Amino acid sequence: MNDAPTIRRRGLVAAGLSLPFIRSAAAQQASGEPYVMGTLFPMSGPNAEYGEAFTRGAQLALSHIAADNMLRRPIRLQAEDSQALPQPSVVGMNKLVNVDRAVWVLVSWTASSKAVAPIGDRAKVIMVNGGAVGPDLSGLSPYFWNVIALAHLEVPVLVDYLTRHRNVKRMALVYVDDPLGDAILGQLRTELPKAGGQLVGSFSVPRAAQQFGPVAARVRQTRPDAVYIASFGAQQSQIIKGLRDNGVTQILCSYSAFSIDSVRQLPEAVGALYTTQKLDFESGDPITRRFAADFRARYNQTPVAYHANYYNAAYLFGLLARQLEQANEEVNGESLRQAMLRTRTFDLVGGRGTFDDQGNLMTQMQVNEIKGAGRTEIVQG
Amino acid sequence: MLFLQLLINGLQTGAIYALTAAGFALIFGATRIFHFAHGTAFTLAGYAFLFAWRADWPGWAGVLVAVAAATLFGMAMERFVYRPIQRHEGSFFTVFVAAFGVGIVVQNLIGLFAGRGLATVDTPLSFGTEVLPEIFVAPILWIAIGTAAVLFAALTVFLTRSHAGVALRALAQNPDLIRTYGLSANGLSVLAFAIGSALAAPAAIITAMTSGLNEAIGHQVMLISIAATIVGGIGSLRGAALAGLMLGVAESLALQFVDTQWAEAVSFLVLFAFILFRPSGIFGVAAAR
Repeated sequence: MNDAPTIRRRGLVAAGLSLPFIRSAAAQQASGEPYVMGTLFPMSGPNAEYGEAFTRGAQLALSHIAADNMLRRPIRLQAEDSQALPQPSVVGMNKLVNVDRAVWVLVSWTASSKAVAPIGDRAKVIMVNGGAVGPDLSGLSPYFWNVIALAHLEVPVLVDYLTRHRNVKRMALVYVDDPLGDAILGQLRTELPKAGGQLVGSFSVPRAAQQFGPVAARVRQTRPDAVYIASFGAQQSQIIKGLRDNGVTQILCSYSAFSIDSVRQLPEAVGALYTTQKLDFESGDPITRRFAADFRARYNQTPVAYHANYYNAAYLFGLLARQLEQANEEVNGESLRQAMLRTRTFDLVGGRGTFDDQGNLMTQMQVNEIKGAGRTEIVQG
Repeated sequence: MLFLQLLINGLQTGAIYALTAAGFALIFGATRIFHFAHGTAFTLAGYAFLFAWRADWPGWAGVLVAVAAATLFGMAMERFVYRPIQRHEGSFFTVFVAAFGVGIVVQNLIGLFAGRGLATVDTPLSFGTEVLPEIFVAPILWIAIGTAAVLFAALTVFLTRSHAGVALRALAQNPDLIRTYGLSANGLSVLAFAIGSALAAPAAIITAMTSGLNEAIGHQVMLISIAATIVGGIGSLRGAALAGLMLGVAESLALQFVDTQWAEAVSFLVLFAFILFRPSGIFGVAAAR
């Protein structure tokens, strides 16, 4: 009982000290404070190359939003390092939601996205994924949207192409032991028989595995026509090199993860095939052309699908927030979601895209072939 | 045939593990410092060779640069990180955190300057050709095994025949006695770090040619080095080398019997078995209670 007054006093002091920091969203809006857009990308570790690529796409979108004076308030990009792991992602998401008060968070990685989705869902913060392809990311939350084609859209396109144009009947799979790898395994088991093919072997590898000579020996034994690699980051390049150095000469193929520079410039990756959403940077579409030209000028690099995805993910915020500002509505997760549902169709990089009821941006797909020295060629689409 | 192919792959991996583990064991055995940044020396050596290769330097020059990078890093760690901590009687945990912190800083610096993602040395030495039906062997296999054998022979001669080598072994046994004989424990400690770190360089170069490098590769190297040091017997150089080789072979041969998912777990199953049934390791001496 003696402690009660102390607690009350402490509570009063704490409440008094926190008063200056308690401000409504409306008050923040009126003061012109920046909107906070969070990013949860791997910025360190073996997958940091993706984080850098994703961030570049988002940064370019923000510079275009600012250059076009789309919004009354500026946007602040707040980065948190997910390390491509669920636990650091949850820590980062909690900080973005509770400390930085982000209204829009760009997320990546299937396992990380699934880990943070409940936090964003509770706080009604929009989460936009442009990098992860696990099919169960569809409909994860009303506030979780995908601007990338998920595996259930990528795998059938590649299987169809391989069986019809490359006479592939037997496919082996090397896949990382995580939700993404499991999802691709499930898709191949379903799609290959439909196309008259067969999954002749599936080899799961831990996320940290680095030596693939022994795996190559097992893959060779299955006598495949093609080998699907479902991994990411430094590991997928190691798998490609490990297979090629150890006698696997068959077609190597994958999903959009192959579009990063370290894969496209790997000599052993020449001839490898991968799917992405349809992207023609030389098209007549002005948004795509502007994106490609400015990206090359700013980063001295040819853009790839991931750059475009996260550009779209960030630019979409500009489009929706502008609608809300023009209608004098508060910009928050719920109002942004309502604005998306009202509009559905947006002009973005790659052309016009429409969100379905699950929050997935529906686009056409293409199959790309790596030609060496960073060059790729569209072979279907 | 699969067994033979896996054995060949295992020997190549095992030679790399043996070199890195021996370096770590030499440092730990002589100085009792848990040099967690040994993986960082490995990473630096690999990237030093990579830069030299990309600059079209001759191969021998690249090797020298890699060895110099690892050696200087090891010596700098001893002089500027571990010695000040030990002067203030810092705990094992302090040493570990300091080494871990340095590792993180170097990892990020490498990412900053060398770019993120996989980096490889593109050479035909790593490309396997079919020497028997279903058996692929790359020239790098012979380089890995030969390098490991020559370096261990040289190290054994050094530790048994030279004054400095004998003094290093004495440092591991009784540092106070070293001082009594008028030898510099600090100087010997630096020597242990220099040689131990230099041993990581050939392994890093071979790794750059085979599986490639990324800035975070040091952590994996450390896990194997620690496991090999425990399995080999703490303080035993030949034990760590043999255990490294054994872990590499076991990891590869396991694929004959289990799913690929379990290959790396086999290393730690071996470690677990040793901890349970022979805690002193292969060549370790059981401590009396």
